[in-house]
Amino acid sequence: MPRARPKATRFSRRVFIHRLAFLGGGVVLIGPACKRDPSVAESKALPDSGASRSANQTFTPEEMAIVAAACNRIIPPDQDPGAVDANVPQYIDRMLQTAEMRKIKAEFVPGVAALNRQSTRLFGQGFAEATDAQRDQVLTLFKDSAPASDEARFFDLLMVFTLEGLLGDPSYGGNKDRVGWALVGFGTSEPPLAYDGIRHLHSHGAR
Amino acid sequence: MALQLGRAGFKVVVLEKGAYYQKEDFVHDEILNSRRNFFMPLPWDEPHLIRYDPGDKYRRTNAAWTANCVGGGTVHMSGYFYRLKPIDFRLRSELGPVAGANVADWPIRYEDLAPFYDLAEEELGVSGEAVPHPFAEPRKKPYPLPPLEEHPISKQLDITCRKLGYHPLPTARGIISRAYRGRAACGYCALCGSYGCEMDAKSGTNSSVIPAAVATGNVEIRPRCMAQSVEVDADGKAKSVVYLDGHGVAQEQRAKVVVVSCTAVESARLLLNSTSSRFPKGLANDNGLVGKNLVFSSFGESRATFQISRRKESWPWLGDPAPFVQRSLQDFYLMPDNRHGFRKGGTLGFMWTHPNPIFAAVRIAGSGKAAVFGKELKDKLREYRDSKILQFEIYGEFLPTPGTQVTVDSSVKDKYGIPVAAITIDRHPMDFKLTKYLVERGEEVLKAMNPEKLERVSTRGETTILQHGTCRFGKDPATSVLDKNCRAHEVPNLYVVDGSFMPSSGGVPTTLTIAANSFRVADALVKRMKRGD
Repeated sequence: MPRARPKATRFSRRVFIHRLAFLGGGVVLIGPACKRDPSVAESKALPDSGASRSANQTFTPEEMAIVAAACNRIIPPDQDPGAVDANVPQYIDRMLQTAEMRKIKAEFVPGVAALNRQSTRLFGQGFAEATDAQRDQVLTLFKDSAPASDEARFFDLLMVFTLEGLLGDPSYGGNKDRVGWALVGFGTSEPPLAYDGIRHLHSHGAR
Repeated sequence: MALQLGRAGFKVVVLEKGAYYQKEDFVHDEILNSRRNFFMPLPWDEPHLIRYDPGDKYRRTNAAWTANCVGGGTVHMSGYFYRLKPIDFRLRSELGPVAGANVADWPIRYEDLAPFYDLAEEELGVSGEAVPHPFAEPRKKPYPLPPLEEHPISKQLDITCRKLGYHPLPTARGIISRAYRGRAACGYCALCGSYGCEMDAKSGTNSSVIPAAVATGNVEIRPRCMAQSVEVDADGKAKSVVYLDGHGVAQEQRAKVVVVSCTAVESARLLLNSTSSRFPKGLANDNGLVGKNLVFSSFGESRATFQISRRKESWPWLGDPAPFVQRSLQDFYLMPDNRHGFRKGGTLGFMWTHPNPIFAAVRIAGSGKAAVFGKELKDKLREYRDSKILQFEIYGEFLPTPGTQVTVDSSVKDKYGIPVAAITIDRHPMDFKLTKYLVERGEEVLKAMNPEKLERVSTRGETTILQHGTCRFGKDPATSVLDKNCRAHEVPNLYVVDGSFMPSSGGVPTTLTIAANSFRVADALVKRMKRGD
């Protein structure tokens, strides 16, 4: 599904993950480089891909299949549910629409295509059609790339988003039936039924 | 401060750059609270610049912000409420100068602050048990509330520490164990640090003194108002604060007295950005000391993993979900000699590792080439489910050095167009010696409990949300910014009441000290204003 897309914006730094220890291990901010980039800050710079042609908001159906295949290799199903069972791809699709993630979206979506290209180059078939072993090979290649490379950054993002989608509040669309929490043994008194994390992010944090 | 002024009948306007969150806004959502900009601004909207070597280039970060909302850092704190000890007020005269560090005595003594510790504990609500031990600071009253319930591991920790000859202490908490002044008691939800408390049980100023201040009828809270500068009149007295309101429109609030309290980093930034013909280098900065002598808190950490399934018989209680460990060691707060390369050390605080699952999983997965995924990752997550992780944090002295400071960088502006704070951290080697020593003592304790895994996290860190020193108080206007009542030497109606006044970091989290000091300063200010001075 070739489609004109602006060239992926390169960022000057790795995924920005900072910890403030005193808060008891809580505060981590996921974000890309801390450099302001007006070409990305303007949402118009990005076509609203896919949303009009599928149920998804960020990804085309083809991209969604690749994302799902990739997440399911990060957290594969076995005796416990995997990433797809937890609706992780839907989480990522939705999360990339938020204002704070705009810059990350510009990095993530081309990464999905790159995953597919690498698979085609190596195995003559796209990532979604490849076998589990082939998918793992491609993912490992990305993971082991030079630390500042786009490939390594994409793997980092894929990992972090998969774990957020697996273990985050279910209102964001992932962690379906709280399968992620069951996996790690986490329980909490949850937000009210009507709670929507993404709406909350926008009304308070992002302003 | 606002509470005491309001009670005395003075009109107070509080300008807060962030939101005024209510209890209903505090939900158990890790993504919202811990991974986005609910509390901390995004580094491309409102960066801090940071570098670890005066010769390096700055990079943008969200480090050294505390929560941007009414109540600030006390909203998402863990609430470890310690007092300083008498030695902290007299480091220079008791221990002598340290080469390469600008160590100074405080212009007040512990005894001057003690009554206000009592008052702050009462107003905010602190739960704890004062037990006699060799390093105890003097106190006249018991804690206003009994201690919170503890996990059975605390008793085990006590036994282990005592066997090693150490003196385990219960850690007092800024969390109420019983209903108190209209607030509900703690529900033991385990999500304290990095979260706001939906019960009002955590003793943040947003749950305690701010509602009380508003109730006086004399205090108005104005959220989403970003202070841009403090303006002065022809005599060099503060006359007003210029701020951008929630719509981005510049407003001016006149005042008889201006009290700055934005955290040590941000208060220095505000003063440095408040230039005028009278104060070309920034307000109250003729001596060039605003932003200097920045001190954080030295940080170290190790973690011990205990598998639940392996201890079904020896420790059947291990899987108990009780969230609080609440033990500290202060045996190394002040060393009797210089044998280990330092005299003033700090505190070890023991706790369960934070239960945030995404945070834990990202850590378990690792990063770069060392990252794991697939079945290996999943197995590790299942192993995590079967484990309890006991950790300690170090709160150690952080020596002031000529290099560690805050300036403003006029070439980098935040989303309001205001020059941002630029932080240089130039650590004194003694900090690392003491932190490593304290980490080793903590590991000695954890090791004696026979964990499956013992992992050192850091011996060279700093806790940047505990920040102090940028407007050091002192007797001599040539070597300090504020006088002993936290009034600027150079501006008679300007006060600073966050951690900025502290010449030294102490060896504990300083939240309670900052609160107690603001009660002390308020007391002096109210007396002065009643005299019409």
